[in-house]
Parts: sequence; C-alpha cells; structure tokens
Amino acid sequence: MLALKNIRKSFNGTDVLKGISLKVNEGDVVTLIGPSGTGKTTLLRCVNFLEKPDEGEVQFSNFQLNYSHAKKKEILRLRRKSAMVFQQYHLFKNKTAIENVMEAQIVVQKKTKKEAYENSLELLNKVGLVEKKDYYPSQLSGGQQQRISIARALAIKPEILLFDEPTSALDPELVGEVLNVIDQIARTGATILLVTHEMSFAQSISTKVVFMDHGEIVEEGPPSQIFNHSNRLRTKEFLKHFTNNYQKTTSL
Amino acid sequence: MDIAYFFKILPHFISALPITLIVIFFSQLFGLLLSIAVTYIQIKSIKVLTPLAHLYISFVRSTPILLQLLLIYYGLPVLLSLFGININFWSKTAFSIVTLVLHNGGFLSEVLRPAYLAVEQGQHEAADSLGFTSFQKLRRIIIPQLLPIALPGLGNGLIYLIHDTSILFVIGVVDVMGVASNLVSSSYGTDQIEVYLAVAFVYWAVTYLSDKGVKRLEKITERYHLENGLKS
Repeated sequence: MLALKNIRKSFNGTDVLKGISLKVNEGDVVTLIGPSGTGKTTLLRCVNFLEKPDEGEVQFSNFQLNYSHAKKKEILRLRRKSAMVFQQYHLFKNKTAIENVMEAQIVVQKKTKKEAYENSLELLNKVGLVEKKDYYPSQLSGGQQQRISIARALAIKPEILLFDEPTSALDPELVGEVLNVIDQIARTGATILLVTHEMSFAQSISTKVVFMDHGEIVEEGPPSQIFNHSNRLRTKEFLKHFTNNYQKTTSL
Repeated sequence: MDIAYFFKILPHFISALPITLIVIFFSQLFGLLLSIAVTYIQIKSIKVLTPLAHLYISFVRSTPILLQLLLIYYGLPVLLSLFGININFWSKTAFSIVTLVLHNGGFLSEVLRPAYLAVEQGQHEAADSLGFTSFQKLRRIIIPQLLPIALPGLGNGLIYLIHDTSILFVIGVVDVMGVASNLVSSSYGTDQIEVYLAVAFVYWAVTYLSDKGVKRLEKITERYHLENGLKS
C-alpha cells in the first residue's frame, strides 16, 4: 500500500533521516514512536511532500514516485490520496467548521456544494460536533478543532491518514476525546500512519509500532513485541519514561 | 476672505475633478496589480528579479514623488527612445499615471508582503496536504485571510495616492490642483486663500468617500473571526 524506500533528509547539513524504509499495508495502523527530534514528524511530512526528501522513493497504492525528481502533478496526486492531521490542527481560519470539512471536496474533488454539505454533516456527526458546524475555529476548543480537522481529513476519503502528534498541543482533559475518534476510525479499517507520544494509546491501537532514534529505525514490530518483549536496550530505555494517560472509553 | 468668490470658483474644480479621478482610478488599479507582481517575485525569491524588486522598492520609497514625476516626464521618453520607442505623443496625464503606478506599486507591495507573511504557514500546509493547487490555495484560503490584514494599509495607500495627485500640475496636468494653479496665476496672486481652501474641500470630499469605501470593505472581511488579533 505505502512503501517508503531509503528516505534521506538533512536540514543545514544535519542528517535528520538517514535512509528510512518503511511499509504500511492496507488497514494497518502504524505508529512511529521515539524521542523528540528523532525525525518522526519529518518522516511523516515527507510522505506527502510537505517536506521534500533529499533522496528516496515512495510506492503508494498504484504508482511510484522518486522524491528527488518529482513533478508537480505527481505531488498533487500523492497529496490527493492522503490526508494529514496536524499537531496544531491548522483549520482554515476563514471557514466555519462545516466549511472546513466541505472545502477540499468542493475545490479539489469538484463535488457539488450539496453533496459536500451532506457528506460533511455525516462526518461531523461521526466526530460528535454537528451542533458546532457553523462555528469558526477560533470559537472552538483545541479538542473540538482537532476533531473537525480529522473530519476534514476523512472528507477526501484518503487511502492513508497521516497523524502528526494529534494530541500534543491539547490540554490533558481534551486528549481523550481526540484519541477516541482516532480509535473509532482505526476500527473501520482505515490505513493510518501515526506519530504520537501517547504510548498506551499506541500500544492499544497499532498493528505495527516503529521505534525511531537519531533518524533511523531501531526496531519495528507488533506492539506486544515492542512494548513487552523488546530486546533492544535503546527501546527499553525509552519506554521506561512514558506515563499511562489513555483510558479507552466506548462512547464519545 | 471672499465667500462669494469661493462658491463662484467651486464649479471650476468640479469640472476638473474627472481628470483627478481618472488618474486616481488607473494609478490605484495598475499600482495594485504591479504590487501583486512585485510581492509575488519577492515571496517566491525568483532569481535576478528579486534583487531588482528590492532595488525598485528602495528607490521608490526613498525618493520624493515630485522627483519621480520629473524623472518619468523628462527621462522616460529619452530612455525609451534608446530602444526605438517613441512616447512623445503621450499626454501629460499618461505620464502622471505611469509615475503614480510605479510609486504606488512599490509602496503597496510593502503592505501586501507582510500581510502575506502574516498568514500562518500552517494554513498553507493544510491546503497543500489536501491537494489544493497553488492558485486554489491562494484564492480560497490565503487571500481571504490576507485581505483583512492588508486592507488598512491599502486604504492608507489610497489616501496618499489621492494626495499625491496634487503635484501633477507641476508638469502641466489640468486637474483640480492644475485649475487652482491657473486661477491663482490669472488673478495676479490674489484670492489664494479662497482657491486653496476650495481645493482642500474637494480633496477632503474625495478622500472621505474613498475612505468610507475602504472601511466598508474592512467590515466585510472582518467576519472571519480570525484568531490573530483581528476578531470583530
């Protein structure tokens, strides 16, 4: 489904990604964990070209792309099949909640307003925010904005969802509502690539966990292996530090 | 102070007003277009053109408008004749508009560029990540957010432009100020106060109306409840 090959990226001479290869199969929930500054977010941003890798290839659904000489059209194609949820939400500030969800459907996918509106209502319902549909982002809490931004990402029916630390900017009491929504999406069989520091959430939601350090993948495998039976010292050391703050609930 | 004379000459100015308005309209329109182009060059850091844009803005902002008018009026025909282009048949109004367009373009780009930069990078990234083309992103997301930031500056630019038209009589344009200048010289230097007071009223009215228009635009763009200190 998504296969990254030998992704390299450096900023001002510092190697941030040192030749990363990673596979995400359809329906997989792959979580990138690791210390800050390890390149997890950079790797995620390389997938849809928000960051241009210096080197590397991507195979995505039915097409292949070489990062070092990608054309504008290819980049657009890649972006239109994926969607990203940002740490800082980045909802369009000049649009209401529902307009945010409708926007790409109308502009990029050329759906009619009516169709986009009905789709968006359904999605807002899914994230539990129909009653806030006419609010502007500045009138919503962080957790609500993030749930809207998830609905906005889902609206283009992406083949893969990219989550970039979706709860890191939230007040602790708002983290749960966002994680629940992501959990719910994962259950529908969506393909997800996620960067997070919520370790217990990563453990419960992932089909594969990837531990990164210093721009390299140290270890990858099913959550049980990484969290309970890792034989890598670096992984164990890192996991010792996390705290458990995800309580799964069944309803939103 | 001769009130009767004041009202007697007022119609003269009204009849010269269209020239002033035409100059303002075209200078603002093409000045804005030029400033958009200059802003684009700077934002995209286009090679060769970016240093030229900096040079141009620096010159326009650092030299008096009167000097720029004289340079264009006397210099441009000479410069273009080197390339075999003859513009000697141009009217004085045309030279005036060229000057004000060049002047305005430099100034307004210094309003647009910071306004563009004030729109958060995240807004660009969100649109990019959803597969917007650059044009779609600009039209739907960036410009609507940039406008409320830029409008007060653009409004000030318009006021300056209106006032800058008052120097065009120097090369012989018969606009509102040109009429005033003619009246003063034909009355052997008497009644200056009445004449200039009348001119002041005309400029005041034009500026007041255009300012009202800009304020109305600001009201319209305020509805976005932007977080960056622009909440209505």
